[in-house]
Amino acid sequence: MSENRSLLCDTATAVLREAADMHSLEEAGFATLLIAEADGGFGGDWGDVFAVLRIAGYEGSDLDIAGLILDPVAGDSMEKGAFAKVCLAAGALDRILEMAIDYVNTREQFGRPLARFQAVQQSLAILAVEAAAVNSAGAGAALALDHGDATFEIAAAKLRTNQAIGVGTAIAHQAHGAIGFTREYPLHPFTRRLNQWRTDNGNDRYWSEKLGAAVVALGTDGLWEEITRRSDRSAG
Amino acid sequence: MQSFAIHPFSTPGTVSDLRAQVRRIVSECEAGWDAADRANSWSVADPAFSARLGDEGLVGMIWPKRYGGHDRDPLERYIVLEELLAAGAPVGAHWIADRQTGPLLLRYGTEEQREKYLPGMAAGKTYACIGLSEPGAGSDLAGVKTTARKTDTGWVINGQKVWTTGAHIAHAILALVRTEPGSERQAGLSQLLVDMDTPGITVRPIINLAGQHDFNEIFFEDVEVPHGALVGGEGNGWKQVTAELALERSGPERYLSSFALLRYLIAEQGGDPAVQPLIGRLTAELWTLRQMSMSTAAKLAGGEDPAVEAAIVKDLGNSYEQDVPLAIQAVLTADFDTRSDSDLARTLSLLLQTAPSFSLRGGTREILRGIIARGLGLR
Ligand SMILES: Cc1cc2nc3c(=O)[nH]c(=O)nc-3n(C[C@H](O)[C@H](O)[C@H](O)COP(=O)(O)OP(=O)(O)OC[C@H]3O[C@@H](n4cnc5c(N)ncnc54)[C@H](O)[C@@H]3O)c2cc1C
Repeated sequence: MSENRSLLCDTATAVLREAADMHSLEEAGFATLLIAEADGGFGGDWGDVFAVLRIAGYEGSDLDIAGLILDPVAGDSMEKGAFAKVCLAAGALDRILEMAIDYVNTREQFGRPLARFQAVQQSLAILAVEAAAVNSAGAGAALALDHGDATFEIAAAKLRTNQAIGVGTAIAHQAHGAIGFTREYPLHPFTRRLNQWRTDNGNDRYWSEKLGAAVVALGTDGLWEEITRRSDRSAG
Repeated sequence: MQSFAIHPFSTPGTVSDLRAQVRRIVSECEAGWDAADRANSWSVADPAFSARLGDEGLVGMIWPKRYGGHDRDPLERYIVLEELLAAGAPVGAHWIADRQTGPLLLRYGTEEQREKYLPGMAAGKTYACIGLSEPGAGSDLAGVKTTARKTDTGWVINGQKVWTTGAHIAHAILALVRTEPGSERQAGLSQLLVDMDTPGITVRPIINLAGQHDFNEIFFEDVEVPHGALVGGEGNGWKQVTAELALERSGPERYLSSFALLRYLIAEQGGDPAVQPLIGRLTAELWTLRQMSMSTAAKLAGGEDPAVEAAIVKDLGNSYEQDVPLAIQAVLTADFDTRSDSDLARTLSLLLQTAPSFSLRGGTREILRGIIARGLGLR
């Protein structure tokens, strides 16, 4: 991570933990994250947006920081929103993974921590794999946005994220037992948001129909050519 | 916490040339390739094709020139591999030598071993096989019982290996053996590189459930090899094998090996609006896996050890490749004849049979998830 990026992440973490309203986010300058330095903005790239929104998802902030960052920039609002949900979900999935790990390491049954049971280990490994997939998808979509058109990548990333949310939230709840089903325990704010993001800005049907039709339109050998052509845009 | 730290894949400036080179070779050679073979590409051995890739400088790409290599960047090699796999090219003959045996020799081998094997490997003409599994040592590899007794002139090997892919075409086997008499578990193991034509070695085919001859069992009866067959340190075998497995797990072959099936689905059934959402979903998963595999390749290229990331990529890639044929089978119309001669039908039938092996070879699903769980601090 670049020095700028890690400073940005530190600021985002601090501000999102404390901020009670949109005003404090505006004060911190997030609205200009994507605005060029020459125009008085922060001059960040889409990788920065991914990093900041991922932190917002991880910290569980309900403030609309995504809107603050993305509204000022041009682009299809469905796509921008879908990208934001992917980033937020990447952070939230990492958070519920962390909560589940802490929980099974402390909670004891049958005379030992739940983490000692192989069945529990294996199911949390699946949660980790799903969270990893969403983090990779988010970073990949951000890279594509830096090179211009990212319709393909955003569709793929959002669809993959929707899948991961279904699998991941179920595992996190299972690992927590009944305590995770209470209003008091702080798991549900994360799983509730994740479930909402699964619907928002395109559910599985929406993106799979769209992406499937686009892929078919590329012809038999078109899919591989398209995937590689798009990622090769970053060649140095 | 971060479940997966992303390592940016810095796409090499030569990427267009490399893709064009591979696509040209493929178009010149593909006339005789069977559709179903294309969905099994790194298991299909075609010595002429391997030698052609060797001539083109596309085997042993990242090895030093003095050993017949080409001093290329690991990410350039990644591009070549993904192109070959996406095309379903028959890369099985040289695959293991290029992916793991050669790199292991560069890291641990003696000068003599490197000079003897690497140039032939880089030419796509010397093949290797992996001698790890035994009847009593599968997932629990530390149960290896094959022994090598040290004598004044060398080593004498006795024992048995099993499931050895390509042993019937390989020139050499890198075998994990017990060199310290009476040692147990991970201790006292070493790696020996043994020429397959050494007297005392018997290779017997094991035919898989699809009728193919890919793997074998190997018997060692008083097989005498010189001291120079020892690769790396005596007793260091466990550590070396663990490093070798990371090379084996994260590559593009863990999600692209059956890409041909998706291609045939698009070609033959893509016009069906009921099939398009599945094509969309499979594309989304494929694209995501590629991001993960490239990030892991970049980490490996940066000199770091991505053991957990490699396990994540392999586990997810295996699940994906096992899901693809089942999902396609489920979505086809009732009048689609899976016994027909179409590319889709033949490839689908084969993969429905062979898919279970994906989460066995190279470390089972349960073992990989155990590695991931350890990375999470659960064990
Ligand atoms: C196509 C193919 C090619 C292969 N090629 C090679 C090769 O070239 N060289 C080579 O050395 N080997 C090769 N293998 C062997 C492969 O590495 C082994 O199959 C694998 O390590 C599993 O060992 P096993 O088959 O003995 O199964 P077992 O270890 O007996 O396992 C059976 C089942 O039990 C599960 N299990 C085992 N231990 C545990 C545990 N502690 N916790 C939970 N579950 C567990 C496993 O995950 C698996 O599901 C190949 C295998 C296949 C299928």
